[in-house]
Amino acid sequence: MRRTLLYLLLGLASLVTVLPLLYMVSLSLQTEAETLSARAVVWPASPQWGNYAELFARAPFGNFIVNSLVVAGAITLAHLIFDPLVGYVFAKFRFPLRNTLFVALLATLMVPFFVRMIPLYVLMANLGWLNSYQGLIAPFLMDAFGIFLMRQFIQPIPDDLISAARIDGASELGIYRRIILPQTRPALAVLGLFTFVFQWNEFLWPLVATTTPEMRTIPVGLTLFNQEYFTLWHLTAAGSVILFVPTAVLFVFTQRYFVRGIALTGLK
Amino acid sequence: MKPRTLSGRYARTAYLFLLPAILFFAAFFYLPIGNVVATSLRTGPQADQWAGLGNYTQALADPAVRHSFLVTVAFAVAVVAGSIVLGLALAMAIDQPLKGRVAFRVLLLVPYLTSVAIVGLLWRNILDPELGVLNRVLLAAGLPAQQWLNTAPLLTIAAVTLWQSVGYTMVLFLAGLQGIPETYHEAAKIDGADAWRRFWRITLPLLAPTTLFVSVMAVISGLQAFGQAYIITGGGPGDATDLSVFHIFNVAFRTRDFGYSSAQSVLLLIVIVAFTLVQLRAGRRGEVVY
Repeated sequence: MRRTLLYLLLGLASLVTVLPLLYMVSLSLQTEAETLSARAVVWPASPQWGNYAELFARAPFGNFIVNSLVVAGAITLAHLIFDPLVGYVFAKFRFPLRNTLFVALLATLMVPFFVRMIPLYVLMANLGWLNSYQGLIAPFLMDAFGIFLMRQFIQPIPDDLISAARIDGASELGIYRRIILPQTRPALAVLGLFTFVFQWNEFLWPLVATTTPEMRTIPVGLTLFNQEYFTLWHLTAAGSVILFVPTAVLFVFTQRYFVRGIALTGLK
Repeated sequence: MKPRTLSGRYARTAYLFLLPAILFFAAFFYLPIGNVVATSLRTGPQADQWAGLGNYTQALADPAVRHSFLVTVAFAVAVVAGSIVLGLALAMAIDQPLKGRVAFRVLLLVPYLTSVAIVGLLWRNILDPELGVLNRVLLAAGLPAQQWLNTAPLLTIAAVTLWQSVGYTMVLFLAGLQGIPETYHEAAKIDGADAWRRFWRITLPLLAPTTLFVSVMAVISGLQAFGQAYIITGGGPGDATDLSVFHIFNVAFRTRDFGYSSAQSVLLLIVIVAFTLVQLRAGRRGEVVY
């Protein structure tokens, strides 16, 4: 009885989370007439796979995809390069101003993006970086969250391991690359996963920092497409599916890490 | 642990490794924060005339700014309340020894992976009074069609936000629940406490740190919601969903008043920081040690 109730609750909640996304798939396969019909179509009479091709004909959707891949990919790569290095320094080195710098770093966690939005826009305009990859990427190259995560992960690695390597004559960069980095692999997986998914989905900054359709990322392309060309729901939905599928596939294979990542970064 | 092996001799290496980070955070965090404050003290189309605190006094007296702030707070409160109730309920359900727990967890987390762009567009379509599939379902069930975005716009976009984030709060609560030692519940059971009592006396108090974290995160993200207003409602009907960041965005990029929009950004930042600090302090006092 109690079990049945629990299954019912979880089943119902899961339907509520998943059905709208399935409806999005349905919408992406409908004809334009079906999307506009007075009786909403739950599933199209005959799936219009051509909608996906039409997307590329009606908007520079290929650009959107490439832009999203370049921007999210470059930012993720930068996080994977810098966050563990900086985390290592704060975990294992003692130097003047260490605590001050660390506090200054953590303080940036309190700064929501909208506070940086206007000055970053002006900065990018002055640099001539609006509507460019460097403009889309630069503000997100590192973040305190990833650095903090890596520091927490590196701290328990025994100091003796590092001193032994030093006595053996290893260079500082060599110690980092050969001893520290290999041990951080699980944390790097979580970091890379989260960074990619969030940057792939980022909306506000690409909206502010791009001015031509050719430079838009998928999330922004979707909405502007939507406004500029009337409301083409079948194409909007097809574009949404394209935006959603990569993260969904990534998630299916890595959901264990994902869940552990939320629990870990959330509660530490 | 004493850092004897890695002491001061390696300071140069440390700074060398830190250099990119120092430059990055200076250029893309501290410089912009300085600039937003500097710009907030200026006025004019080029933000080149000194205004002193003029933008601030104007913002504090501006009914539109006040209204958007109240709307934002109401939105954040709705999201926080929903996150705690629904997130905790789902976490407690999924914490039971059920078959298919992993599958449920995956299904509930899926919307968390979607962009606010997808969420906004999809729900705008689903909720549409004429084309929307939701009203079709209601009519089919013999219920009257609803105009959610007209009758309860703010609650509706809060519900949509919850739809996206509930899996995340559930996972946080789940981690919290799994941190409560089994023996506490067993002991209470032996003492004759029923499930309801055990929930109020054991589960809830021991979850206090998690609940605090969930609410801080939900407040912070609720106060800076943007896409919901930009995509779903356009701030309307009227100004019913004119969320603060959306309002700031419009002042900055539609009317190009960078001084005024910067002042509003700073004010909202102050509110968020103050809110977070108060919540964290309250939490420290009430923290349960076990």
